[in-house]
This record gives sequence, C-alpha cells and structure tokens, in this order.
Amino acid sequence: MSTLVLPARRRTTRLPDFRRHRGLIVAIAVFVVLFLAVDVITPGAFSYFEIHFMSAGGATLALAAMGQTIVILTGGFDLSTGAVISLVNVVLASAMGTSPLSQVAFFVVALAVGALVGAFNGIFVAFVRMQSIVVTLSTMFIVQGVTLLVMEKPGGTIAPGFVAFFSGDAIPNLLPAPIVVLVAAALVWRLIRNSRLGVGLYAVGSDEEAAHAAGIRTGWVKFWAYVLAGLFYGAAGAFISAQTGSGDPLLGRPMLLEVFAAVVLGGTLLGGGRGGCIGSIVGAYTLMILVNILLVLNVSAYYSSVAEGVILLLAVLAASLNRHSPIAFYLRLARDKLAARAHGALASARPSAATAPVLSAPTATGQSSTPISWFARHREALRTILPAYVGFVIVLVVSQAVFGGTLDNPGYFDSLLVLSSFLAILALGQGAAILTGGLDLSVPWMIGFIGILTSGLIHGSDIIALWAIPLGLAFGAVLGAINGLGIVLLGLPPIVMTLAMNGILQGAALIYCNGTPAGFASSAQRWFMTGHFLGPTPVVWFLVLFVLAALLLLDRTVFGRRIYAVGNSPLVARLSAVGVGGTLIGVYALSGFCSALVGILLSGFSGQASLGMGDDYLLPSIAVVVVGGTLITGGRGHYLGMLGGVLLLTALSTLLAGTTLPDATRDIIFGLVVLSAVIALRERSA
Amino acid sequence: MRWRFPLLAVALAFGLAAVAHQAEAAGKKYKIFLSMSYIGNDWQAEAANMVKAMAASKDYRDRVSLEVQVAGPNAQRQIQQINAMVQEGAQAIVIFPISPTALNQVVRNACARHVAIFAYDAEITEPCAYNVHIDQPEAGRVTAEWLAKAIGGKGNIVVITGVPGTSVDTQRTAAAKAVFAKYPGIHIISEGVGMWSQAVARTELTKILTTHPWSDIDGLWMQVGCYTAASMEKEAGIPDNKLKPCAGEGSNGHRIQMLPVGAAGVQGTHDTYRPMGEPSISYASPPYSGALALKLAVEVLDGKTVPKFTKLPLPVVTSTTVKLCTQGTWQEMEQGCNVFQPAIISNPGWFASIYSPNTPEVGLQAALNGKPEQ
Repeated sequence: MSTLVLPARRRTTRLPDFRRHRGLIVAIAVFVVLFLAVDVITPGAFSYFEIHFMSAGGATLALAAMGQTIVILTGGFDLSTGAVISLVNVVLASAMGTSPLSQVAFFVVALAVGALVGAFNGIFVAFVRMQSIVVTLSTMFIVQGVTLLVMEKPGGTIAPGFVAFFSGDAIPNLLPAPIVVLVAAALVWRLIRNSRLGVGLYAVGSDEEAAHAAGIRTGWVKFWAYVLAGLFYGAAGAFISAQTGSGDPLLGRPMLLEVFAAVVLGGTLLGGGRGGCIGSIVGAYTLMILVNILLVLNVSAYYSSVAEGVILLLAVLAASLNRHSPIAFYLRLARDKLAARAHGALASARPSAATAPVLSAPTATGQSSTPISWFARHREALRTILPAYVGFVIVLVVSQAVFGGTLDNPGYFDSLLVLSSFLAILALGQGAAILTGGLDLSVPWMIGFIGILTSGLIHGSDIIALWAIPLGLAFGAVLGAINGLGIVLLGLPPIVMTLAMNGILQGAALIYCNGTPAGFASSAQRWFMTGHFLGPTPVVWFLVLFVLAALLLLDRTVFGRRIYAVGNSPLVARLSAVGVGGTLIGVYALSGFCSALVGILLSGFSGQASLGMGDDYLLPSIAVVVVGGTLITGGRGHYLGMLGGVLLLTALSTLLAGTTLPDATRDIIFGLVVLSAVIALRERSA
Repeated sequence: MRWRFPLLAVALAFGLAAVAHQAEAAGKKYKIFLSMSYIGNDWQAEAANMVKAMAASKDYRDRVSLEVQVAGPNAQRQIQQINAMVQEGAQAIVIFPISPTALNQVVRNACARHVAIFAYDAEITEPCAYNVHIDQPEAGRVTAEWLAKAIGGKGNIVVITGVPGTSVDTQRTAAAKAVFAKYPGIHIISEGVGMWSQAVARTELTKILTTHPWSDIDGLWMQVGCYTAASMEKEAGIPDNKLKPCAGEGSNGHRIQMLPVGAAGVQGTHDTYRPMGEPSISYASPPYSGALALKLAVEVLDGKTVPKFTKLPLPVVTSTTVKLCTQGTWQEMEQGCNVFQPAIISNPGWFASIYSPNTPEVGLQAALNGKPEQ
C-alpha cells in the first residue's frame, strides 16, 4: 500500500542497521514513554498484579497482530482475523472438557482451526491467485456464519486449568503467564524469520517477480504465510478464551481495525517487505495502554475517539519524521523553487519553443488494415468487469425463481437501484482511493458527521437545505482533502490517516449534537429518496447521471488518467510530470465528497440522521470495489466493474433479506457467493 | 526531530501528575467510573446523559465523583479499561457491558478488591456483579402476544431482529417466536436483521418489500423500526386507518404515531412524525437504567444491601394507553404521560421511556442535556 515512494528514501545511509530497525525502535520508544507516563500519573508504584493484568490485556491483540503482520509482509491483507478469533473462542467454550487431556487437545484444536482457515485463504490467494482482500473478506463472512452456528449467543465455559495456564502466573508473583506466551510466540517468529520461509516472506513482499526469478517458490511462501497467520489467530483465540473464561460469538469482530493499527504502529509497511512481528507486539500494547492514558487524563467521552486518533497519528509520525520524510522533501522543494524564482532559473521562466514530437503521417496502408476488434481492445477490462455482472444476473434469476414477480416488477428494480445508490456513490470515492493504492477508512463517520451536521442545520427547511447541502458537500471535500494532505505531506499511510480521521469525525459529530442528533431532513430531501418522478424514485435518475459523470471522470479526464498513473507507480508518475501529491489530495477530497453525499442522501432516506448511520458502509464500500475487479494494490479497475459489484451485492442481500434463513446461514451464503462469483468467472475468461 | 514527541509526552505526563494530585485533595467523594461501550448510537448517548445528570443532581453532586470512559465495541478494551479503573482506585464501576461473559474474569478481580460492579441494560453473568435491566424474554413475549391478538391469530408477519449473536436479541426473538409458534395461522414470511437502528430497519424493510409487498403483510414485529415502518407505509400511500399493527420500540416517533389522528395539543409535527392512530404496542429497554445503577451503587457504598438483580418493570405502551406530555415536566410523567412533543424532541428516534418513580433526579432535561431536575 505504498502511495508515495520518494527517491530520497532510496539513499544509502551510514547506519544501515539502525535504519532498518528504525520503525521497531521508535515503536518501542513510544511504548516506553506511554508506559512511563501511566506509571508516573498513577498513584502508587506498579504492583505485580498490575503488570500481570496489563500483560494479559494486550496479549490477544498482540498475537492477532503478529499473524496479520506475516500476511502483510507478503504484500497481502487479511480481513478474517477477528472472525477466526471468535470462531476459535466459541469452539473452545462450547466443547472443551475439564480433563487435562481435553484442555491440551483443545489448544491443538484452536491452532488447527486457525491454520485450516488460513490454509483456505492461502489456497485461493497463492494458487488460484485471487486478491487477498476478496478471499479474506469472503472467509470473514463464512467464518462469522459458522461461529453463529456453533454458538448463537454468549455462553459456555473454559476449563479453569486452561484459564490459569494462559492468563495466570507462570511463576507466582514473579512472572505472569501472558508474558511467557508472548515470548514463546516471539521465539516462534524468530525461528520463522531466520528460516528459508522467512527470507521468502520478505522477498515476496518486496518484489514478487524478483523473488520468483531468484528461485523462490512464491506460491508456497504465500500459502504458508496464511497458514502461519491462521496459527497465530488460533493462539489469539485460545488466549482470549482463557482471558474471558467463556465464549461470545461477537468477541473478535471489532478487533479487525485495531489489529491493523497495531501492525502499522509497530513499524510494518503495508504493501509488504518491511517490518516484523516484534514491532506488532509493541504496537498492540501501545494501543491497549492508550486506554489507561485516556482514563488517567480523564478525557471526556466525546473526545476520546479524537484523542485516540491524534495519538495514533503522532505515534506513526514520530516513527517517520526525519530529513528524508515527505514533509522535509516538500519543504526543500519549496525552498529550491523560491531560490530558483529569485534567480530567475525556474524551468517555466526559460524561454523555449514548445516541443512537439514529430509524428509520421499515418500511411494509407495503416488505415485500410483491419481495425482491432472492440473485444480485443477491451478484453482485459471485460475480464475484470464481467464477473460482477454475471453474478448479478444469476442472483436476479434466483430471486425470480424463489419469489416470482421480481424480474417483471419495475418496483423491484426501483428499490434495488435506490439501495444501490449509496454504495455506487461510495464506490467512486473508495474506488479512486484504492486505484491509487490507498484506502479510505474515514467513510463511516464522514457519512455520520455530514449527515448529522446538515440535518441539524436544515431542520426540515427546504430553504436552508439549498445552502446547507452544498456546504455539507464542500465540508466533506475539505475534510477529505485533509486526509490527502496528511498522506502526502506527512507521508502517513492512508490507513492510519483515514482511521484517525474517522475517530476525529466521530468525536466531532458527538460534540456537535451533544450525543443526540436533533435535526431532520427537509421534505424535498425525503421526496428525492422516497417519492416518484416520471415513474422511478428521483434518486434513480440522479444515479444514472452520477454513473455517467463518474465514468467520464475516471476515463476521460486528466485527473482520471493521473489516478491510474499514480496507482501503477507513484515514481513513474512523478517522473512523467504527474503531480502525485495533488492527485492524491484530489482523490481523498473526492472520497470525502462522495461520503458526504451519501450522508445527505441517507438522512433523506431515513428522514433523519443518526449516530452510527455510516457504520454499515465501510466494508461494503471496499467489497464492491474489489468484487468489481479492482486491484487493491492500485492501478487497475474500472468504475463499471465497481457498479457491477454494487448491483451484485445489493441484489444478493435483497434476496437474502426476503427469506427467513437464520443470520448465520446468510453470512455463509454471502461469503460463498462473493468468492465463487470471482473464481468461476476468472477461470472462464482465463 | 525523533525525540520531540517523546519529550513532549514526558512533559505532559509530569504536568498531569500534578493535576492528579489536585483531584485527590478534592474531598471524600465516592470515586465512581462509568464504562460505556459504543457511544455512537442514540440510546447509548441518552443513557449516558442520564447517568451524568444523576451524578450532578442535588443529592449526589457532593457525594460522587463520576468519570465517564468509552470502551468502543471491543470487549478487550473494556476489560483493560475496567482494570485501569480498579487501579485508579474506583469504589464502584457502572458498566454497559459489551459482552455478558467476556468481562467475567476482570469483574471477579474487581470484586475481590471490593469494587462494586453494576451492569445496566445488558447483563454480566459473573455472580458478584449487580445487574439492572428488563426481563428480555418478557419483552419478546408481551409484544408478540399483543401482535398475535391484533391480527386475530392469523396472517403473515415480518420480523426485524436486533444484533445477531447478542444475548438480548437472542432472548427476545426466541421468546417472540415461541409465542408465534402457538398460532398455526401465523406465518413469519421474512426476517430482517435490524441492528436496533431505524436507519438499518429502513434498508432491511426496503429489501423485504421488493419481494413481499405491503399487501402480503398483516403485521410487523420489530425490535426497533415501527416508526420507520409506518413512515414507509405512508410513502406507499396506505391511509392512516389501514396501517399494519406493529409491535416495536419505545421511540418518541413511534409513540407519536400511535396517538389518535387529530390528537389535541400536539405541536411541531412534520411529515410522518405526527399522530396517525397506528395500532401498536411500544416496549422499551429504558435509558434511565444507568442512572438507577449509579444510585444503587451509592447505596451499596453506603453499606446498604442491594439485590444482585434489579429487574426493571417493562415499560409497555399501547395505542390505548399512549398519552402526550405537553410540557415534559416530572409531574406530568408521574401522572402517566409517555410521549413527548415533537416540538421538544425533534429526533423521532429518541427513546421516550425515561420515567421511573425511583429516579426523580433525572427527567427530560437529563436525557436531552445531562442536566438534573431542579
């Protein structure tokens, strides 16, 4: 997920060892400072009990982050982390006996469950060569469903011996067991790293083709990476089971974003090739100790997500600020430019004739030769776009077969398009971010904040809506541009910048409405989402226009071409005189604009804005983009494909909502359809 | 450059140490913490406002120092947070538990250090914890029985559940389904996952309606979403007197819709946020539970005996018992009004079941702004 590789970073330095471990060293320094801060503020010295409890607090996150790190080192992405932890937790809580044998056996089962899911991911990523994010997203849904099948609500117990072994004392009053667990995990990682496989992990993540050329069996390396990651998740699941002493099918799900944050804090580069598991352990504990810091500082509840976001930013910044960091680069650039202007040495100031390459005139033979067929020219695009649409058609046919009266019912398509409009709009922003090799995680609270802000201003008045809606959209674009600025100027990874922005916006929304959003949408807004205009709902007409505009923007404008250029290679783009920074800022501003638009439309749809109204749109906004054939590492993808992804997923969830299938089964079907749609059509077109 | 941040943090830490010492000198108040889970939804914010108002009320402001923290949706963090609160010297911790089971170990530890643990709205299964909530199966049963009667024991119904995988949702839904199973004429034709959110209820209902039009549906059982359902029926052109019976949540919008058409003295109505005589039952998991838990926690610290489980009476309002509060004063609520003026509550999703005879300290201003009753 490197967005901007600056040439300055490639310079050799005199301290290669320090430079190589810089991320880790800074991560440790940040943690130590935070730890000391807590120690200083907390009355009384740290007792063994406190050390013990803190070591247990971060262990699950640390183990999970270690697994995620291994996948990220190979350039992958694993969204199934939290789901696997929940699955292991409920399996252990529902089936473990109290005999020592059973306890040992179930620890093995925990690891095996993790490894199995990992192997499933690994097969599809390494050998079917699918994108890790699509595979693991499907796995996440399937595993969530299976988890609910195993245990539909919290309950079960973990044997006391198991609890004591993992979360008790290794040596009473001297050594807490969680520390032993982590040291063991760290040793396992050391063994892996120093093995051939370990070298392979870094090699594949740095440059897969070069690794392949050097004789590394890249497929197997990736496969084992997912299996190893699964083993770590299994261990994390076993640990959290011991820590909580029971099962809860929802336990692991919210850990996903924190796992990514821990990995990034630990100095591992998203996109692969650099970092390591030790840093992730430190990152995990840093995140957990934040909880203590917020408590000791008595940060007001509304501000806590803001404080967390800011601390995350500062910690990552601390690791990256130096004279080679982007901000220093841009400062130097600006200084040089000013100096050049002062000396009149700017390139633009040099009088020169416009250079126009001389092209040979097209020959007559060239014109008469058979034109390349439309299919041949667009084969690559079709191959990535079509799967989503074929899947969509299949879902339509199944809907017709199950319910009847859908295909010939204009109302069905109208509702489908209304529901699709939110994701179709988000897909443009998120898609553009992904095309540049980034991600926008600030979508949920950008939607929520702008929705609450605009309906708070509008308060049912169509007149106010006339200026409040443009204001909200402009606000979204500006906040998005701030994301872009952070990514470009401060060199922050997009995940970190947008995750922090999400927290800050959540705080902003809460502070603005003091916990209770008061406004409501105007009647025109509501008519737009629920009324009728020449037959369909007005927003359907708007959606048609939006799609046309999006296609023009990405395909036919300079900005659109630059997005692809940056995604393919920021370095090449820069050398080709593409303003990489400006393009990135524009992309995130676009994404902020799209989220803001969805926030406004959603408030019209529901009649009012509510806290958390955007929460259900983050993963889907990423899913539709990748299901539509976009490469998560950037550079390849088409808005038509994303639109296909939107239609497929919306039609599928509409189909499932009309049934009385239990939620567990729906999750599994959802995951399987996404996975098989992408595989089946891959092979057909290959 | 690299050292700037750590240095800043150290400086900050020492500054804060000084602040912490000042707080210690503030006198002999009970040190009580509130550990909320996720703050990003309307119910949570309202409940938190009421807890804060309780702590700021006349009887408690000199006796209680309350500190509010948010754990987010992650149980791991709540575990860490509760432990940090114990380290900070908490005497009681009021918790909205993310999981009924995951906190058991940390709660047991806290109990061992003589910290009173109170869970509100949802439960903590560890026996040493105090629980304050409604009887969830009762909520499912009462509403389902009402709906079954309202549709005459037969017909097609749509079910919108809460968050799958939680105890609360599972218990309510199972109890309701057990009731429906007793009526062979009642068919659940589709089941949506509503996540206890009006916004999600709307998308789910929109999906369901594509395959099951209103004409196929005789009644709705929803944990949250009756307000949205009635709004959607109006958009589909269904007249007020033909609205489907709906068993659902205690939102202000829903209760306003339950008032008879043309009810006198209702101010500030707009669009579908108006009396329409919807045949409905409205139950609630009341947002005053946290405030009551705080009150009970002080009683425990005072040395009184409090039962481990305080079962809150299930607030139930039907189309016949719904009554408008014209001003929203405490006296009015005491006399039995149960829905507030749209002119005061502009958000129809706001939860109206804020009255309890046991918490005279907190009323409408508490729920809205965190201000106690005078």
